[in-house]
Order: sequence, then C-alpha cells, then structure tokens
Amino acid sequence: MTDDDNSPAIEAVGLTKVYADLPALHPLDLTIEAGQSVALIGHNGSGKSTFLRMTAGLLEPTGGDVYIAGWPVGEIPARATTSFLPDDPVLYDDLSVREHVEYVSRLHGGNGFDGYAQDLAERFKIADRLDDLPARFSRGLRQKTSLILGIARPFSVLLVDEPFVGLDAPGKNTLLDVLAEVHADGAAVVVATHDPEFVERVDRSVALRDGEKVFDGKASVSEVLALVST
Amino acid sequence: MSTADPTIDALIEMRRARRRKRIAQIHWVDAMYQVYITAIVGLVVLVLLSGAAGGSKLSPSGLADLLRRGPAILGLIPAFAFMAGLRSGSRGGPLALEQPDVRHVLMSGAPRGYVLRGPAIRQLRSFAFIGIVVGGAAGLFARHRLGSNPAELVACGACFGLASVLLGAGAALVAAGRRIPRWVATLVGGIVVVWSIADIAKRAPTAPMSFLGRMPLWPLRLDLLALAPAAVGVALAAFGLVGIAGLSIENAERRTKLVGQLRFAVTLQDLRTVLVLRRQLAQELPRENPWLGSGHYRRPPKRLVFSRGLRSVLRFPASRLVRLVVLAVIVGFSARGALDGAPPLAALAGLALWVAGLDAIEPLAQETDHPTRSESYPIEIGELLVRHLAAPALVMLIVSVVAAGVIVLAHPTVDSLRIAAIALVPMAMLGLAGAAVSALMGAPSVNDEISAMLPPEFAGMKNVLRAGWPPLVSILGVAPFLVVWASHRSGRSPWSAAATAAIAGVLVALFVAVWVRYRDDIHDWWKQSMEEAKQQKSSKDAARPQRASTRAAPAPNESDDDRPDDEWDEDDERDEDDDWDEEDEEPDDDEDDEPDPEAEGDEESK
Repeated sequence: MTDDDNSPAIEAVGLTKVYADLPALHPLDLTIEAGQSVALIGHNGSGKSTFLRMTAGLLEPTGGDVYIAGWPVGEIPARATTSFLPDDPVLYDDLSVREHVEYVSRLHGGNGFDGYAQDLAERFKIADRLDDLPARFSRGLRQKTSLILGIARPFSVLLVDEPFVGLDAPGKNTLLDVLAEVHADGAAVVVATHDPEFVERVDRSVALRDGEKVFDGKASVSEVLALVST
Repeated sequence: MSTADPTIDALIEMRRARRRKRIAQIHWVDAMYQVYITAIVGLVVLVLLSGAAGGSKLSPSGLADLLRRGPAILGLIPAFAFMAGLRSGSRGGPLALEQPDVRHVLMSGAPRGYVLRGPAIRQLRSFAFIGIVVGGAAGLFARHRLGSNPAELVACGACFGLASVLLGAGAALVAAGRRIPRWVATLVGGIVVVWSIADIAKRAPTAPMSFLGRMPLWPLRLDLLALAPAAVGVALAAFGLVGIAGLSIENAERRTKLVGQLRFAVTLQDLRTVLVLRRQLAQELPRENPWLGSGHYRRPPKRLVFSRGLRSVLRFPASRLVRLVVLAVIVGFSARGALDGAPPLAALAGLALWVAGLDAIEPLAQETDHPTRSESYPIEIGELLVRHLAAPALVMLIVSVVAAGVIVLAHPTVDSLRIAAIALVPMAMLGLAGAAVSALMGAPSVNDEISAMLPPEFAGMKNVLRAGWPPLVSILGVAPFLVVWASHRSGRSPWSAAATAAIAGVLVALFVAVWVRYRDDIHDWWKQSMEEAKQQKSSKDAARPQRASTRAAPAPNESDDDRPDDEWDEDDERDEDDDWDEEDEEPDDDEDDEPDPEAEGDEESK
C-alpha cells in the first residue's frame, strides 16, 4: 500500500499481541481517519499501551497488520508520519533540552529548534531550562520535555500514552490546548487516558477491556467512568 | 561535510556533539593512569601465571594424541560461540543501544542500516579484542606443554580467538538482522555443537568447527583447512553488518533497558544483579509448572525450606539445565586435563564449578533478593539460609556426578574411577560454597570506611580480592586432581594425599556453612567492635585538647610540690605530647601567660 489522500491515518487489521500464552490484545480491527481525535480508554492491562506501541512500531504484532497513512508500520514514511509520546520519558543524559529538540526534530525532517519549539517551551514553562540537562529534571519536567520533543517535530499522526500523569495543573491545561491545536491543524490524535476532561473534547472514544474492543463511538464522561471502573 | 540525506546529517552532527561532550568529561590523566596500571598489572600477572602454571612437556605420543584429538575438543569453543551467538541474535543481541537511540533515532526517518552499523562495528571490535587477548593468553599458557615457539603459539591462539569470536558475533548479527526465530537458532546451533561433541567421540565425520580447532595447533602442524571456518566467520560478520537494518525494534528496546541496568550493576560489582539481568536478557524465566509434580503441595511438607528449594530447582528452565550439564562436562574435561599434566586447567574446572554453583544457589539467592520478607520470618536468618543450602547441594552433587562421569569416560581406568570418587563430594560442596559466598556477599558497600581510607591502588586490590575469593573457594574443590598430578610427578602414591585434600576441602565447605549461619552475628560483632573503637578514639581525642587547656590555665599559686602524685604522671605524659606537637605547630608564646577563656570554662565544668 502507499500513501494517498483516501488512506486512513491508522488502520489496524486483525491486530493481535500475545505475551507467552497471555493475550494482551485480541484480534482488533480499528480504523482512525485522518484528522480524527480519539480517546483510548480502559482499565489497567486492557491493551491500550500495547495497541499504541504496536501502532508506533515499538512492539511487533503477534498477528495482523497496522498501516499508517497507508504505509505498513515501521517503514520510513510511516515513521516520518507518526509521533509517539510514551508515558515514560526517554531522553539522553548528555543533551540539553534545546539539543534534544534540535536533533530529534531534524532526524524527522524538521527544522530543528525553531520558533514553534520555543513557543512550546514557553507555554510549558521550561523556556528558562532549555540549556539544562533533562537528566537532572523532575518527573514532570522530563514529561514536558518529552511532550515538546514529540510535538515540535513534523507528524500527521500523534499517539500519546497517559500524557497527564506527572503534569501539574497548568501543564495539563497547556497540553489539552496543544492537543486541540494539533488536531485543528489536521493531525490524527490518539490519546490513551482516563482523564474525563480530554474525553469531553474528542470526536470518538474507543474502550478496550482485557484486550478486546468493548466500545467505539462518542462517549459521555459518565459512560467513560463506567467503562473504566468496570 | 554534509550528505544528501538531511536526517543522516542530523545524526552525524548529534553523534559528534555527544562525542565532544564525552571527551570533554574524561579526566585524561586518571584514564591514562588506569590504562597504564591495568596493562602493567595484566601483563605481569599473565606472564607470572603462565610461567608458574608450567606443566610438563608432552611426550611424542602425547603430542600425537593431541594432534589427533585436540582439534575436535578445541572446536567445541567456536561451536559453543556460534550457538550462543545465534541464540543471542534471535533475541535481538548482541547490540546494546541506548534507549533514546531506539526511541528517537531508530523511530525517525534515518536509514536504520546506517544508524546501526556504527554501534555494530564497535561491538565487533570489542569482541575481536577480547578474542585476541584470550586466545593469545591461552597460547602463552600452552607453551610449556607444547614446547613450541611461544610467539607462534600466541599468534595462532589469537587468530583462533578472533575467528571464534567472529563466528559467534557474526552469527548473532545475522540472526538479529534476519530475525531468525529462536527455535531455528537453537536447532542450528545445537546441531553444530552436537556434531562437534560427536566428533570428539569419533562418532561422526569431522565437524566443521574441528577444522578451526586445528588453528591453535599450527605451530605443530600447519593445516590451511582451518582457514575455511575462519572465512565463514568473516563472511557472517560482513553479512550481519549488511543486514543489521532488519533488527527488531521490540527486541532492541527490551535489551536496551536491561543492558543499561546490567552495565550499572557491573560497575557496582553486584554479581547477583548481573546474573538476574543476564537471565532476563536471555529471557530465561522459571517454568510455569515444575518438571516433576503439579506445583501444589498435597500435604504440608516436613522440611519446608528444603521443599521450597526443590520447587525452585524443579522450575529451572531447560536452558539452565543444559548450561549445568555443559558446565559439568567442562569441569570433567578440565579436571581430566589437569590430571594428565596441564594443571592450569584445574582453575578452569574450579571456575566452571563456581558458575554452576551460581545457578544452583538460586533458592538461597531468592531469599537474599527479598531481605524484608526473609527477615520477617520467625526464624534466625542464618538458620534459614543454611537450610537453603540443601537443595542446591543436591544439584551440585548431580553436576559433580556428571563431571566425574566425564573424567572416567575420557580415560576409563580404575585410577580414574578412584580419583573421581574421591573428588565427588568436595567438588559439589566447594562449588556450592564459592557460589554461596558470592550470593551472600552482595555488592561492595559504597560507605565502606576501610576502603575510603585506602589509597586507590590498595582499594582496587581489595576489590579484586573481594571478587576473587569466592571462585578461589570453588577452585579448592578440584585440589584432589592437582594432588594426584603432583604425586605422580614425584613418584609417590597419590591416594592418601588426595583423600586428605578432599577432607580439607569438605572442612572448608563446612566452615563456609558456619559462616553462612553466623555471618549476621559476626557482622554485628564487628560493627559493634568498630563502634567501640571509634568511641574510644573520639574520647581520647577529646581528652587531648583538654589537657592542653589544663596547662593553659594553671591553678594560681600552686607549686609543683603541692600537687598529688597522679598529677605528676599526667604532666609528664603531657610534656611528651607537647614535644610531639611542637613539630607540627609553632608554640604560642602567649599560651602560658594568657589563659584561654574556653579552657577556663572547661575547668569549671570539670
């Protein structure tokens, strides 16, 4: 398959993951259109992170396929299209925030540390720490660095795993705004979260339970809470 | 310099920037000093050991036997390296990338082949260096036995080491890049190893790795066929480098986390953590169900701790059981070699016993891994740990039986049977004792006051001794073989001496068991003694300035004659102290004239 205007942002066909003999994700068919914002919800161990990691190309499916904008996951165009923000920030010990953004953005074909990156740093309130090593940051600051890294580079599919964990209230509000802007710019945004505030804003919610899809549609906060608590 | 691909440009720039930072952080003088010390000490130790190890020169018939059987036995080394490489590659090895490299660089649009080739070449280079050094050192050790030109032996040994490493690392790179399934890797590697073993027993045509086994013997007989497997090794390495782009990201990421922790554990010299992480890297997990029994107790066991240990042993994965058998075979062959006139092989046998012991000791190590749980049991921790030695002892006894079987089968005589029987128990007990010491000793404490007071050279030596003595305990287990060898050389009957060595070995093992039982009490006693000594020292130190102040504030109108006798004595001592102090400090001229107010206060409080 190749990229064309009609290709969905993400297309999972019979996507399966089994660890030893423990199924983490049962065969899952899921299509997310370009420009759609989706909340991925479910209790711990429901398969949200497994789905996101397989879609990002970090995990290999036991069965089935995933396509990003029509490209098999893992191929260079798919990698260039997808930005994955993990729940555990992964950063170099010996590069400052500015250097991280500079190199990671350019590795993805971006402009390096540009005005947008500076703007994000200011909004996340780490503009005065740009030349510091994130290795010495708190969990929240590392999370913010990771968010800037993932958003400052070019992409059209954004996958985010539990982004609000470890963020303070202003940081969380900034992230909600940034995600809305990214979505408004035409990117598909998929966020695994339990946060009702985000669920209220999305086009669609997909709920997983024990590796199976149990809900797909527009959900109210109460429905989400019910899905998460069961 | 820029390339046509901007992502490659960014990658090159990032790597350069990071290298610059790394280099800027290196303390060159310290680094050079460490390299210098390591090189000098390594070289001296190697030369001394190889000189001391000696061994008698092989007779012409012995040399002929070596040329006939040696290649197949030596071929086992590259065969195992090949199998280990294939298996490691099927799990994503041998590359150990940084986690951010996986997340940011491998997930970017940069060509993965380009990204991975650099680290792969660096890794190959390190392996090659190790192979050359170990192979060359083995050649040096063999010079007394073979009587050939040492330079030739060292060179051929180094080439053999290099070729073996290339076969292993090349196979790993190919398996990783081509994503060879684990079962295929195990099957292919297993065939190569079994073929080599069958070749030793003369039950199969010449195994491919046996050709390479002829390389270290080139100074005795040149055989260019040995170059064929070496060429395969080079081809595998090249092929692996070309196809490394196919590396599984999932495996790379899993490895990267574990390897990071592993390196940290190595720097802390935390052997247990290294072992646990290495097992995780190899995905060596305990079996869900034990090999025997259902995993449920039908009735409460009488010997609970032993029973728990046995469950642990019965859950050993197949790979660990295979490793124990392989180690037992190595012990057997090495001990046989020591008996036949190559005493340095006894060290190899002892080391193999120690490694087997580290596997066998798992039930006890699990207890030390979870100290809060162990300490919550209503039983003395020492007693619990001693009870935990029973199940591993059983495992080590089986290992020793296999090793003894190899010793006898390699040279089936009554004498072989005798020595194997004599050494059976000490091998098992001391192999376990060394491992128990390693497991219980843990990592060196960062707050070690003694090390902190030592100069770096002595502190380093202390660390080496600390790490080295558990394997030395295990090496004692093969002492009966050395005694028999020495007795044969001097023409004495070896059996009573061998039995004495075996009894001494058992006594050492019992001593270690006592240490396991009472080590906490010993630690407490030591700590308390140190505390008391510290308190005594600090009270003595506190007394010293007080005396000085006593002199600074003499009682008015008090003549020497009016003072009691004990004060006389004190004053005499003080004068001696002052003489000593004067060397370090200029005396204060005003000291006798102007009383120190603080000293006055002291006097008052007194």
